[in-house]
Amino acid sequence: MFCYQCEQTYRSDEGAGCAGAKGMCGKDAATADLQDILLYVCEGVGQYLHRARQLGATDIEADRFILFAFFTTLTNVNFNAAKFVELIHQASQIRDRAKALYENAARAAAKIPQTVLGPAAFVPASNMAGLSAQASEAAVRKDAAILGEDAVGARALILYGLKGVCAYAHHARVLGEERDAIYATVEHALDMLAREERDVATLLDEALALGRANFLAMEALDAANTGAFGSPTPTSVRVTPIKGKAILVSGHDLKDLHAILEATKDKGVNVYTHGEMLPAHSYPKLKAYPHLAGNYGGAWQDQQKEFAEFPGPIVMTSNCLIEPQPRYRGRIFTAGPVGWAGVRHIADENFAVVAQAAQALPGFTEDAPEKTITIGFGRDTVLGVADKVIDAVKSGAIRHFFLVGGCDGAAPGRNYYSDFADEAPEDTVILTLGCGKYRFNKHDFGTIGGLPRLLDMGQCNDAYSALVVATKLAEAFGVGVNELPLSLIVSWFEQKAAAVLLTLLALGVRNVRIGPTLPAFLTPALVDVLVEKFGVQPLGDAKSDIAASLARAA
Amino acid sequence: MYKVSLLTRDGATIAFDAEPSDTLLDAAERASIYLPSSCREGGCGACRVARASGEVELMSYSSAALSEDERMAGDILLCRARARGDLALRAPFDEAAVGSAPVPERRATLVALEPAGSGAVRLQLQYEDDPTFGSAAQFAAGQFVELTLPDGSAKRSYSLANAPNWDGTLELFIRLQPHGAFSNYLRDRAAVGDTLLVRGPQGQFTLDEASPAPRWFVVGGTGLAPALSMLRQIGEFADQRPCRLFFGVNKVDELFALDVIDELQAALPLVVTLCVWKPEQDWRGFVGTPVAALAQALSSATERPDIYVCGPPALIAATEETARSCGVPHDRIFSEKFTAA
Ligand code: SF4
Ligand code: SF4
Ligand code: FES
Repeated sequence: MFCYQCEQTYRSDEGAGCAGAKGMCGKDAATADLQDILLYVCEGVGQYLHRARQLGATDIEADRFILFAFFTTLTNVNFNAAKFVELIHQASQIRDRAKALYENAARAAAKIPQTVLGPAAFVPASNMAGLSAQASEAAVRKDAAILGEDAVGARALILYGLKGVCAYAHHARVLGEERDAIYATVEHALDMLAREERDVATLLDEALALGRANFLAMEALDAANTGAFGSPTPTSVRVTPIKGKAILVSGHDLKDLHAILEATKDKGVNVYTHGEMLPAHSYPKLKAYPHLAGNYGGAWQDQQKEFAEFPGPIVMTSNCLIEPQPRYRGRIFTAGPVGWAGVRHIADENFAVVAQAAQALPGFTEDAPEKTITIGFGRDTVLGVADKVIDAVKSGAIRHFFLVGGCDGAAPGRNYYSDFADEAPEDTVILTLGCGKYRFNKHDFGTIGGLPRLLDMGQCNDAYSALVVATKLAEAFGVGVNELPLSLIVSWFEQKAAAVLLTLLALGVRNVRIGPTLPAFLTPALVDVLVEKFGVQPLGDAKSDIAASLARAA
Repeated sequence: MYKVSLLTRDGATIAFDAEPSDTLLDAAERASIYLPSSCREGGCGACRVARASGEVELMSYSSAALSEDERMAGDILLCRARARGDLALRAPFDEAAVGSAPVPERRATLVALEPAGSGAVRLQLQYEDDPTFGSAAQFAAGQFVELTLPDGSAKRSYSLANAPNWDGTLELFIRLQPHGAFSNYLRDRAAVGDTLLVRGPQGQFTLDEASPAPRWFVVGGTGLAPALSMLRQIGEFADQRPCRLFFGVNKVDELFALDVIDELQAALPLVVTLCVWKPEQDWRGFVGTPVAALAQALSSATERPDIYVCGPPALIAATEETARSCGVPHDRIFSEKFTAA
């Protein structure tokens, strides 16, 4: 195996990358190799779909499959080797279909179909042992010697950005929002990866195109979530347990949460959110369920301890799953793209068994003292008080906005983000999203002009909301986003964050601070490009970064 | 006080202190480390580990739990060993098998008892609701429980044959021994409605879920129970990997649970070989032991399977030998010995 797609990748003096028997995330070598092969076969699907599309022929089921397949390979999503063998065989059948689609379209247009090589011509072995032997053909860095390190890094940026786009687009799709332009870009990117493209400038352009497609994906997801469940409104959420039977729902998929709330209606079971599911409490149609009782625990990296202590079933609806411990392995369920060998998986959105499990498990035996936090500052809420915000900025009551958001992780150095939020001066507002907020969302930041100083905009999936707010404020002030008194302090962990970064760059947002470390797949030359062209900045120390942000804005 | 460090199969180090008067199992438990064990008196072998360095004193034990060869190779039984110096041990199980809480003890009601072929019975129990554990039957497919008779007079361990479930149901197949205390109870006194104490789940004979290899089960008699549990679990997970079952008995009328096997065959890519050693009637299945059937199948297999074997010690030894001679690595053979009780 070789994988360096996430922030926690193994780093040593010789370089970075998880290459042993297991990655830092717990993904074993067999699974990592199978994931590479799956994506490689998907590139082959993309080669045909891309060509067919140019001839006016499309296969939306194949596009949907690609979204799902890519989503399964994000960090902390699916660790089940057997599932990947199944997906590889599915992908190979879909590729046959895409090939026929392309060839028929070519013939219909009186053209001779090209013979497509590379991933399109790769024949996956029928069993696990055979597939393992093929892994080197599909490895991320397989052509490093020919392509050069910078091209390999830029290709990795595309591959991992693409994973993020696919994850967002899949989330939107399950709620019925799809955009053909996203599929076209995904196919284009797959075709580019399948070619031995080595021109770094061309590759970076492709990465920015993905960033634009990701903006569409995030917009679609926002439309999907708000369309299905209403616009988030400020909501006070209980963060301590209540006596009674209990279910814990983690991940990002609001549709699954909704299905669980339906399956447990009037059954005397309390449903708690975990991690990135917290923002669900602010959606009108979800919070209308009285048994959506509260939020339990913190960010994903604490789950082994928190899940062990939770006295009911746990459902992982998407990332971020880490190895289920024996103490709760029997009562954790996965859904959608998530998986772990030997853990029950719900493939049909029927959560009746989870309701049954909740009844059979002890639940909380007593109430904990009540504590709450306030969430739900999505774009509508913030823009709803835009006048107040603009006045406060004009009068000097609000000096600056910091968006401190993104993924959390277990790596050292992540206290930077809580230090940053805590040190931000009283006359600044902190916007946040993603699970990184668990580092400080229970702190008291007080208010400014009737607004809370900490505004929780939702999941990492809600980055769109933050971009809309920034754009609208810029319009109101008659300036560009880069001229706003706004600084972005982004923490990345996995590939959705890579996609969001590409979106920010594609939209021309400058001076984004990212950390806690820079992605290992970016070579020094690529980092230089990001720094020069986009003003991307690695983290310093919180105090001086705050000072620098304020100075720049002044 | 001596320092003990135990290295698990997956590379974790577990450390605890041991008083010279404690067994190593008790010493670990004093530190809230619950290591795999069952009989706690040197009879079952569940607590066997390898000694890398340091001295122990071994109290009496049964050779079924620790053979002379194993002892010569440095293996010890945690329930029968006392430290005589600092110790470094190597465990044949993963860190995940080490508990941080004592094995649960719960009450269950006998809800069904019926014959299962000649010489065995099928027992179904229902867990009572419990403030700590609820009413669910949570275990890993392949594990066993220890049952205590209603009057407390005897305890025996039996494998569960069903998959873990939220109804709180336990299903067991028990061979009736001519003079066993538990068998006498089942034959003469057991009645629906009786309450039994259940200590469990216990045991490490469970599926290696992460392995993508085909799964083959080689079982004799009521050794079928854990295989049924695992196969039912595989069915519940809709896992489509190829499975084979070699189920052996001495005489045709000893076969049981054939309806369950039929159901599994309909739901899974499962090939079943029923093996009868001495068929006295018209028998069209395999004649011979499941090990002989395994040898035949391995010789034409295209992929190396993981092998799960459960039954009497001789069956396990023969399976291990056959499988290894056909190129199945030692660590791909998982076993659970059944000893007569
Ligand atoms: S996902 Fe991250 S931790 Fe896991 S193998 Fe890849 S780089 Fe390593
Ligand atoms: S914000 Fe990132 S790290 Fe956190 S749960 Fe979502 S995907 Fe995982
Ligand atoms: S627990 Fe049975 S031999 Fe030690």
